[in-house]
Amino acid sequence: MTAFQSAKEIDDEAADWAARIDGRGLEAERDPRLQAWLAGDPRRAGAFLRAQAAISFLDRGRALAGADETAALDAAERPSRRALFAGAGGACAAALVGGATFWATRSQRLDTRLGEIRRVPLADGSLVAINTRTALDVALKARTRQITLRRGEAWFQVAKDAERPFVVSAGRVRVRAVGTAFSVRRGDDGVDVMVTEGVVETWIEGQDGPRRRVAAGNGVVLASTATPVMAKSPAEIERSLAWRNGEIALDGESLGDAASQFNRYNSRQIVIDDPRLAQERFVGLFRTNEPESFAAAVAATIGAKIEEDEHVIRLSRDRLS
Amino acid sequence: MVPSPQRLVGIEVQVKQSRAEIVAFVGSQILPHEADVRAWLRRTGSLAADVDDIVQETYCRLAALETVSHIASGRAYFFRTARNIAIERIRRARIVRIDCVTEIDALNVVDDEPSPERVVAGRRELRRVQALIEGLPERCRQIFTLRRIHGLSQREVATRLGVTENVVEAQAMRGLRLILRALSETSAQDHPSADKGHDRVPVRKRDR
Repeated sequence: MTAFQSAKEIDDEAADWAARIDGRGLEAERDPRLQAWLAGDPRRAGAFLRAQAAISFLDRGRALAGADETAALDAAERPSRRALFAGAGGACAAALVGGATFWATRSQRLDTRLGEIRRVPLADGSLVAINTRTALDVALKARTRQITLRRGEAWFQVAKDAERPFVVSAGRVRVRAVGTAFSVRRGDDGVDVMVTEGVVETWIEGQDGPRRRVAAGNGVVLASTATPVMAKSPAEIERSLAWRNGEIALDGESLGDAASQFNRYNSRQIVIDDPRLAQERFVGLFRTNEPESFAAAVAATIGAKIEEDEHVIRLSRDRLS
Repeated sequence: MVPSPQRLVGIEVQVKQSRAEIVAFVGSQILPHEADVRAWLRRTGSLAADVDDIVQETYCRLAALETVSHIASGRAYFFRTARNIAIERIRRARIVRIDCVTEIDALNVVDDEPSPERVVAGRRELRRVQALIEGLPERCRQIFTLRRIHGLSQREVATRLGVTENVVEAQAMRGLRLILRALSETSAQDHPSADKGHDRVPVRKRDR
């Protein structure tokens, strides 16, 4: 699948879903695979509504035409029934094979744009919260549930299914879970795994040595160039996962760290040139998409000066203070 | 605290009570005007890909509605919403283009007044449905006629044609894709009434 679908591609997939739901008499709200597809991209809900509306529009033909169609039915059917058999046997078989594999093995791409945070229920009952600028592929197969984190960060609440292990790949790092909740973040300096429930098993593909088990309230950084392992307290983990609610929680982080956290979510970047100011510690709870509130709070409590334009919020020492 | 899964799922999966009503409303009051909205957007200078995105977002906003009972005219609503989205997109664009003021001005001339011909709904709409189905490839057309015009279930269609339900489903998918494309291209006005005064059952001419 392509990284970013065009409106037309989405329209085509929506047509398939609408035809399937209609043909099988399913309830859209109760079909977990449809719901998972819809949740994969906010644009899909509109395309699906449009496709269902087209079916409803076609049905108006029947409503408007009224009765006296049973007689015409046989006439309409007879000549082309032969055509259907004559010309279409091979093509039908091909379409059938294509249709069957389509639903079973297709992997689903989930994307978020800058500043976007989304919660997506998966077809197996698991839930994934996806942080800003993230791309992951979900392939739910008969024997495995395979998630490939292409970039960014996601938190998984895994539905218990001992028959189908849930494995997240991030580069060469693998994280395996059965019924747990954990996050994986791909950064420039390694893969950060944090566990909020249960236990996960982590390893690096192609590397010998024991698999590392990480329990709830613990975190580990794998495949890192600088620090191989970094212990984290449960409170720290909860704080670093505040993004799931669209929040950034600061508890004594430096202003420099805080700025880079906000900069993950916003095109309007916070810049702190003064290294001494960047090392100041700060406490507070902010919305990820409100770097202005953060800057205003810093200005008020530390006595910094704000200069801002469309692209940059610049914090500097207020010379007067 | 880790938020409970129930709470998280509750945010995403909202069961909309009037889904069927909303679908019927969009099918009868919105979708028939899509080709006109697209044509108007193109006239204002929007690129084809932008037109696709704007139209899709309009449907997204409709999909997010709990109720559509406040919408008096689907056609006017469609034009107004598309216009608002187009203007938001121009304003949001990173690179502010020199011609964006003219573009917004162009969008302000909303062409949402139904012309007298458009008001004559019923029979015209029936012919449009007929034309859409007739435009499909043979097998699709067969299945759509039985399913949509004669109201047979997918299973009944399969039995009648002596094929499996999967074949019918694959054709239904293919046909719906084609019809959605046709709906975005052909306006309600592109199908002038040929045989006024006949309330004919919508089947192909050669079958009559």
